[in-house]
Amino acid sequence: MKVTFNWLKQYVEFDWSPAELCERLTMLGIEVEGVQKLGGEFEGVVVAHVITRDKHPNADKLTVCRVHDGKGERQIVCGAQNFKAGDKVPMILPGASLPAKPGEAPFTIKVGKIRGVESHGMMCSPQELGLSDPVDGLLILPEDAKVGQPFAEYLGRSGSDIVYDLEITPNRPDLNSVIGIAREISALTGNPLKLPEVKLSETGSPVQQSVAVRIEDPELCPRYTARVIRGVKIAPSPDWLKSALEKVGVRSISNVVDVTNYVMLETGQPLHAFDYHLLAKAGGAAPPSIVVRRATDGEKFMTLDGQERTLTSQMLLIADETKAVALAGVMGGQNSEINLNTVDVLVESACFKPQNIRATSKKLELRSESSYRFERGADVGVCDWVSQRAAQLILQTAGGSLEPGVVDAYPKPFAPKQIALRHAQTDAVLGIPVPAEQQIDSLRRLGLEIATDAAASPASTVFKVPSFRVDLKREIDLIEEVVRLYGVDRIPATAPRGAIGTNAYDAVHDQLAEARRILTGLGLFEAQGQTLVSDTAARLVGAEGLVPLANPLSSDMNVLRPSLLPGLLDALRHNLSRKTCDVALFEVGRVFAEVNGHRQEGRRVAIALTGQRSPLFWSGDEREAKFDIYDLKGVLEEFLEQFGLRGQTYARRAENTTLFLESATVQLGKFTLGEFGQLLPPLARRYDLRDVVLLAELNLDVLLARRNPVKSFKPLPSFPAIRRDIAMAVPEATTHEAVLQVVKQAKPANLEGVDLFDVFRGKNVAAGQKSVAYAFTYRHAERTLTDAEVNAAHEKVVEQLKQRLQAVVRE
Amino acid sequence: MSFLDQVEPLKQSALAELRAAPDLAALEQARVNYLGSNGRFTALMKQLGTLSKEEKPAAGKAVNGAKVELEASLVARRGELELKAAMPTEPTDFTLPGRRRVLGKLHPLTQVTEDIVRSFRKIGFVVADGPEVEGEYHCFDALNTPADHPARDAQDTFYLAKAEGGMQNAESGPQPSTLLRTHTSSVQIRVMEKQPPPVRIIVPGRVYRRDNADATHNPTFHQVEGLYVDRNVTVGDLKGTVEFVFKELMGPETRIRFRPHYFSYTEPSFEIDFSSALTRKMGKEWLEIAGCGMVHPQVFENVGYDPEVWTGWAFGFGIERIAMIRYGITDIRLFYENDVRFLRQF
Repeated sequence: MKVTFNWLKQYVEFDWSPAELCERLTMLGIEVEGVQKLGGEFEGVVVAHVITRDKHPNADKLTVCRVHDGKGERQIVCGAQNFKAGDKVPMILPGASLPAKPGEAPFTIKVGKIRGVESHGMMCSPQELGLSDPVDGLLILPEDAKVGQPFAEYLGRSGSDIVYDLEITPNRPDLNSVIGIAREISALTGNPLKLPEVKLSETGSPVQQSVAVRIEDPELCPRYTARVIRGVKIAPSPDWLKSALEKVGVRSISNVVDVTNYVMLETGQPLHAFDYHLLAKAGGAAPPSIVVRRATDGEKFMTLDGQERTLTSQMLLIADETKAVALAGVMGGQNSEINLNTVDVLVESACFKPQNIRATSKKLELRSESSYRFERGADVGVCDWVSQRAAQLILQTAGGSLEPGVVDAYPKPFAPKQIALRHAQTDAVLGIPVPAEQQIDSLRRLGLEIATDAAASPASTVFKVPSFRVDLKREIDLIEEVVRLYGVDRIPATAPRGAIGTNAYDAVHDQLAEARRILTGLGLFEAQGQTLVSDTAARLVGAEGLVPLANPLSSDMNVLRPSLLPGLLDALRHNLSRKTCDVALFEVGRVFAEVNGHRQEGRRVAIALTGQRSPLFWSGDEREAKFDIYDLKGVLEEFLEQFGLRGQTYARRAENTTLFLESATVQLGKFTLGEFGQLLPPLARRYDLRDVVLLAELNLDVLLARRNPVKSFKPLPSFPAIRRDIAMAVPEATTHEAVLQVVKQAKPANLEGVDLFDVFRGKNVAAGQKSVAYAFTYRHAERTLTDAEVNAAHEKVVEQLKQRLQAVVRE
Repeated sequence: MSFLDQVEPLKQSALAELRAAPDLAALEQARVNYLGSNGRFTALMKQLGTLSKEEKPAAGKAVNGAKVELEASLVARRGELELKAAMPTEPTDFTLPGRRRVLGKLHPLTQVTEDIVRSFRKIGFVVADGPEVEGEYHCFDALNTPADHPARDAQDTFYLAKAEGGMQNAESGPQPSTLLRTHTSSVQIRVMEKQPPPVRIIVPGRVYRRDNADATHNPTFHQVEGLYVDRNVTVGDLKGTVEFVFKELMGPETRIRFRPHYFSYTEPSFEIDFSSALTRKMGKEWLEIAGCGMVHPQVFENVGYDPEVWTGWAFGFGIERIAMIRYGITDIRLFYENDVRFLRQF
């Protein structure tokens, strides 16, 4: 919504500067999104009064004058000779520029010294102002010229103005009008709102003989008024009207159409003007009827913009007895619009149900200034007055005569809602006492009236809500109005106090934070991926239970992520394409699935590694080593242990998956914690990834449920350990887990731990075999073990390994 | 030469040899020469037994004193030579880059979220959470934003396709009722439905708007919601908490301004602007940062709280916006690209 500084001033007095107005509106809740200065002619030139004129001490041809500019006196050095003390002259203030001569830069007046005497401005000749007066010297103005008046205004030319682009919140349709904004200023300043005076001279036969109105659906159209003006002359608008519209970005069309637009901007009430003779007679001698009816399904209608629209029975039409003439509240029809031959005009000022206009406008994707206002809620009470205002301006700009009276179909006249305001409740919400009189005064300034018929009480006041304030529905809405005028900046902030919160999720938040901390400590960077991914990427991790969007923006983002891995692959690709080839990322986030018709959200943690294991270094054999599967497994093991999970096992998958070349699941008893493995090489290529890519994803919900974060102290051992190493050749298929199982089942006495420290293939190891070396640690908690007892226990294990794994012990 | 006269010259000669030893091998040779079982000093000591009873005490004292001195000298010289041996042949270049360990970093959005959570927890808030896939009721209706409300225009919503399996066009079926939450405010409703007042929560989380990605938009972004419901909660309390939190987040010199505004689920509603060295650097005195207001009585009625007994306030703001202002980031998409060069900086 655009308004101008000067337009507002027509309806309410205020002595704020343009910048102050901006600040005041903002603090009233009307955010100023843009301010545009419209330069008028003679910017910075005012009518000034020469008080004294004295000789310049250092120059014969110059004088030093004291000049009054309407606000104060200033000293000016002048070279002209044709004036005397007491003359009125145009004077340009420092900082303003003289009109530019063709091909020259404008000359800007500055405060400066002329021959040693300061000069604060310049008195102007007609030539300097670009006027064609032949006088030699200053332009001497008549004695009655008003000192301080902008020179443009003195000449009757358009002055400068400021256009404010205001953000009107959807709850305040009344502010989509200059009068609405002026009403707010009036409420804030206490200065009266000056509505334009509407006086109409009516001639001819009553309007009822020219038109009838029939509302078939009063729920969708609570009011419809019609006036008829005969004998207008369609022509371009006068300058003031053109200029008023153009300043706020509305194109001038013709006098009658411009008036309807102007009055809509002024009052907020959309209007429509029909060419009266394009409305069909109702038959016989009967005058035309305006019929407000629903469209029939499939009915076609050509709107003003030349588009043929196909309507539904949910849409409301303005029609005559034979055809539709306007899409109610949205746009007029081509078949009845004002044109150069229009002589008689029917002015519609009506009110329509907001929800219906909104639905129609949305369905047809047709938005207009009119639909914008109606869908937010127009003022049912103001239709007739606005119609009068429009008639007045049409008569003024297009001539013609107004038929007496109005056809006002208004089946259920507006009855103002009454709302009681308990003054103490205002204080309770704001946290400060606001005197009852001040509360009442604020609301009255905003146009609310005290309901005198309601029971009076000092503790509360009952207000009648005017028809233009459709947003005021209950007490809290009145309290908001009080605080807006009181000023929220005047309410002191109180230090935080009151109840301590509780919520079950609070602890979960910390556990997620702990997971993140552990993973960063392991050298991984945290990523945040898009929740919306392509269904193609989503299918990499399984096609079951995808959750698609009904209205995606693109096929790149058409399903909710079923896994964090597609997002991490995108992140890897992004980094690789920017030549960052060594990447270690994790993400903690939500995934989505549809399971048995229910949408489920789950928490996951995922890891992706590719490229070199260690940062660049300048020495050593391993410096260029790439991440392999055991780097990933090491991260997983450390993470799970630090996060408080024990006893998980790893089960290799026998087959490729849609994502993995080789992979394993992580099990904890009957729970699957997640999976990890190496990305399929063709997929890696599809993502432009060159090195081996390792991926893992764990189900955080299961981890949270199964973790045991409780830490308890175990006494440090006070007796020495004895270590026995064993190196043995075993068949390739023998897993580490199998070795551990045998050891576990052998139950050797006092065994504290078993650590694998070497795996070797090649020299001295037969094909199909591998050599594995383990360190066994024996320890007793209460005494030092003897070699003999350790040997006995150890031999038992070795014997079992030989028997059950076909292990050949290497000496 | 008397026994006593021999001690001192032998000691001096031994000391000189120990001190002059150029390496550990030479030192060992010197030790053997004097203190070894066939060494010259050892030989002298063996003579002690041959002396008379009168001579013995003085001689013993002298010879033992000398031995202690020699052994001390030996230890000292060995220490010196061992240090010398430990030194590398070429001096270390301490300007060479070290073998770096990697410390991963938390995503900047996580860091900002944690800072926000920490500030709120100082004043008694706890963290709450809710689903991102929501129904119309929790996202809009319960928040006093009915289907035909113009306020819904401001939020372009992603809806989920109805059927399981294949994709479906929104036009083809009845209006789907599940959607991606457009704000974290839906969690207000979820929490109040579940727990009786008082409530003091913050809700960080992902939200979704149907905007094409550009420098200031991403279909996914993060918000934090704050909700406080108690007896006698006032606008003054709202101001006090907001000022506290933003000073914690943006620095103690931060100024906060409230402007009346409109949100359907709060009344009165305000927008919050802040002003600091950061905003002035961006060429603005005030920068919009959050929305807030007193919980609308209708919202309380929707969740079964009595608005005559309970009052409260809520506020919400974008985490990306805070992070962008704080770090001077000008493109929101950077948060979701996960460029390591970006992540490393925070």
